[in-house]
Amino acid sequence: MQRYILRRVVQSVALLFVLALIIFALARVSGNPADLLLREDATQEDRAHLLRVLGLDRPVHEQLYLFLAGALRGDLGESIRYRKPAVEVFFERLPNTLKLLPLAMVGALVIAIPLGVLAAVYRGTFVDRASGAIAVLGLATPSFWLGIVLIYIFSIKLGVLPSSRMGGPSHYVLPAITLGLFLVAGMMRLVRSSLLEVMGSEFVKLARIKGLSQTVVIWKHCLSNALIPVTTLFGVYFALLITGAIVTETVFAWPGVGRLTYEAVIFRDYPMLQAVILLKAILVLGVNLSVDILYAYLDPRVRYA
Amino acid sequence: MRIRSLLGLALSGLLIAVGASAAPAADKDTLVIVLDTLGAQVMDPIMDTRAPHAHYHAPVWDSLVGFDLEKGGIGPGVAERWELAADGKSWTFHLRKGQRFHNGDPLTAHDVKFSLERVMSPESISSGAAALKRAVDRIEVVDDLTVRVHTRGVIPQFAASLSRAVFMEGSVMPKKYIETVGAKGFREKPIGSGPWKFVRSVPGDRIEYEAVTYLHWRGTPQFKRLTLLLVPEQSTRLAMVRTGEAAIGSIGPEAVKEARAGGMKIVSVPGTMQAVYQFWGLYRPEAKASPLNDVRVREALSLAIDRQQIIDHVMGKEARWPMPFASFRYSSDMTIARWDDWSRTALRYDPARAKQLLAEAGHGGGLRFTFWNTALPGTPFMVPIGEAVAGFWEKVGVKVEMKTVEWGAFDPMGRGEQKGLVGAASMYRTAGRPEPIPRYAGAFVSTGVQHLFGDPQNCPALCQDADKAYEAVVAERNDAKRTAATDRMIELVAKSWIAVPILEGMGTWAVNPKAVGFFKPIPGRHEFGDVTERMPRPEQRPWP
Repeated sequence: MQRYILRRVVQSVALLFVLALIIFALARVSGNPADLLLREDATQEDRAHLLRVLGLDRPVHEQLYLFLAGALRGDLGESIRYRKPAVEVFFERLPNTLKLLPLAMVGALVIAIPLGVLAAVYRGTFVDRASGAIAVLGLATPSFWLGIVLIYIFSIKLGVLPSSRMGGPSHYVLPAITLGLFLVAGMMRLVRSSLLEVMGSEFVKLARIKGLSQTVVIWKHCLSNALIPVTTLFGVYFALLITGAIVTETVFAWPGVGRLTYEAVIFRDYPMLQAVILLKAILVLGVNLSVDILYAYLDPRVRYA
Repeated sequence: MRIRSLLGLALSGLLIAVGASAAPAADKDTLVIVLDTLGAQVMDPIMDTRAPHAHYHAPVWDSLVGFDLEKGGIGPGVAERWELAADGKSWTFHLRKGQRFHNGDPLTAHDVKFSLERVMSPESISSGAAALKRAVDRIEVVDDLTVRVHTRGVIPQFAASLSRAVFMEGSVMPKKYIETVGAKGFREKPIGSGPWKFVRSVPGDRIEYEAVTYLHWRGTPQFKRLTLLLVPEQSTRLAMVRTGEAAIGSIGPEAVKEARAGGMKIVSVPGTMQAVYQFWGLYRPEAKASPLNDVRVREALSLAIDRQQIIDHVMGKEARWPMPFASFRYSSDMTIARWDDWSRTALRYDPARAKQLLAEAGHGGGLRFTFWNTALPGTPFMVPIGEAVAGFWEKVGVKVEMKTVEWGAFDPMGRGEQKGLVGAASMYRTAGRPEPIPRYAGAFVSTGVQHLFGDPQNCPALCQDADKAYEAVVAERNDAKRTAATDRMIELVAKSWIAVPILEGMGTWAVNPKAVGFFKPIPGRHEFGDVTERMPRPEQRPWP
C-alpha cells in the first residue's frame, strides 16, 4: 500500500512538472504584457524599461529556471498587474469562490435528484420527457444570458434582490441559481440513468417481492446506490468550477478565482496565470490522489494492478 | 396572476431560506461609481501604467499641473502657475500656498521633486517613466513653494505632460511619509493631498474613500464617502445604476439608448478619443507597387466613407465629426477654426468623386489590400467602426481582406520593422490630449514608434519634410509661431491621407438622477477621478 501511494505521489509531482512547462510556454505564446501595459505611443525605450522592471528582458530559459526554482520554494512570482505575490492574490480570491460554489452545488442537487428520480420512475412518460427538456434547457442556456435575465426580473422589475456583487445572503441568490442551473442538467441525467440501472438489479426485485412499498424501494434502496456516480461527478464539478465559474463571476461582479483567471489571460499576467493554473492543478491532483488511495484501500485489485 | 403568485411564493421561500432583504440602494452619503476596469488597482502612482488609474488615483493625489475644467486641456493644479526660462531649458513651477497631505504634513516643493524622481526611479513601471527620464536633467528646489525642472533641450510640451489631461506622471506624493513607512507601507496605507482620503481597497472588487472635511482647491466633496466598484459586465453596471445601487456607471455608446429608456441620464464626454485608420510602411521597397502609394487612391478611400452614418448608427450618435489626425476642438497650439472648416469639407462623403479618383489612378476596376481591424483597450466599438469602413470601401469597388485581431496580438506587429503590416491598413485610436504634436512624433517622425512616413534608414521626401516640420514645432518657443509650425505639420499629414480620422469618440456614462445631481465632465478626459469632488447631491442641483 505504501509503495502504491509513493508511486502515485511521484507520478503527480512529475505531472505537475510537465504541466508547469506547458503553462510557462503557452502563457508566453499569447503575447507580452508590456504591449497591454504601455500606452500606444510608448517608445522602444519605454518598452525596454518596462520589460527590465518586470524581469521579462531575460532570456526565456532564465525565466523558466527562475519560475521552476521559485515554484519549488512555493513562490510563483509576483503578479504583473497587481504587483503582489501571485499566490497571495489567488488565496485572497479563493474564499469568494468557495462561498458561492457550495450554495450553487447543493441547490443543484436539491433540484436534480428529485427530477432525476421522477424521470427514471416515470420512464418514457411525459414526466420523463419534461425532465429531459429541463436538462437540455439547463445545458443549452448560456449562463451569461440567464444571469442578465435574472438581474432584469428580480433586481430591476421586482426590485427584491441585489443585481450583483458580494454582500449579505441576498447577494448569493442570483449567482447561485445561474451557476446551479448549469449543474442541474448533468446531474439530473446522471441520476436518471444510474437509477434505471439500479432499478433492474436483483436486490431491487427481492425488495419488491418482500412487499416493500415503491417509495421505500426507490428512495431508500435504489437511490443510495444510484448516487455513487453522482457523488463522483459532484467532486469533479467542484474542482472544475473553482476556476470555471468565469461567466457567472463576471456577470455578477463576483471577485472570485474564475474572474481572476480571465483577467490574468486578458492582461497577459504570466505569473498570475501560471499560479492560478498550477494551484488548481495541485488541488485537482490532490483530490484525485485521495480518491485513488481510497479506492486502493477499498479494492486491493487496484493496488496490485 | 396565478403564475405571479407562485413566483412570489417561490421567491419568498428562497429569500426566507437565505435571510435576504430587498435590493439595497447605496446610502445617501456615499457616491457609488461602477467601472469596467480598476486597472492594476495598486495604490501607488508609479505602479500603474494606463489611463484607468486616473479613475482611482485622482481622488487621492493631486497633479502638479491640472485641468482647464471648462474647455479641457491643461490648467492650474498643485502649481498655480509655471513659466519657461528664456533659454527654454527649464520650467519653474509656483505651488499654491496652504496645501497639505491627509496626515497634516504640508505639501512643498520637496514633495514635488521627490515625486518626479520617484516616477523616474528603477522600480517605477509608470508608462512615462522613460520619457520623463529622457526629458529631465535635474530638479531644483528653489524654496518651499517653488520648484525648477531643468530639461535636456527645449521641450515645449513638458509642463503639459505633468497634467492628467495628458499623462499621469505629475501626481504629487508625500516625501516624508513614504520615507518613513517605505513603499510597501505607502501602498497599504496611501495618503495624498487630494479631496478624498483612501479608506480601503478590496482587490478585484472596490476601492473606498472618505471626503476631506476642509476646503480643498479642487472642491470639497458634497458626499461623505466615495466608492468605486469594479463591475466588468455592462448590463450589470446598467442594472446597478437603474436600481440605485450605484449613482454612475461607465457604458459604451451601444448602451446609451437602453440607459435612456430606463430613465437614466447620459453624460457624454467630448473628445476622449479619435478613431482613425492608417497605412503602414508604404515607403518601404516591398510596398512600392502597392496602389495605396498613389495619394489619389488614399484620398478616394476617405471620400468613400460616410462618417455621419457611422456616427449615427454604429456610435448611436454618441460621437462627433473629427478634426484632423490627433487633434480636438480643445487642442492647443493649432488654429482650431481653420481645421474645423477643413475637416467638414475634406472628410466629406463623396462616393462619386472617390470613384473618379480611383479611375484617374488606374483602379476604376477596383483594388484589394489587407485591413487589420482591432480595438485598443476600452474601445470595443472600434471593431464595428472598422467593419463599417470596409463596407463603404466595398461600395466603391475596393475589397479588403479583413483580419480582426485582439489588441494584444496586434500591438507588437506595429513595433520595430512592422513586417506583417507593410502595405496594409489598420484601425487605430488616438487618445484625447490637448497637444497634438507628441502624437505626430510617434506616428510620423522617422524615429517615432510607428514611423508611417519612413525610418532613419529609408526616409523619402515626405518623411524628411515631416522630420523638419516636427523639429520646427518643438524648437519654437513663441506661441504664435509654434501654432503656425504645428499647422504646417498637421497640413503635411492631412494631405498625405496616410493616417485618416474617422470620428471623434465620446466617453459615455449612465447616471441615476436620484442619486447624484447635475455635473459636467472635463472635455477630453473620460475618467471621473478629477470630477467626483464637484458632483453635487441630487437635491443641490437637479438634472435639467
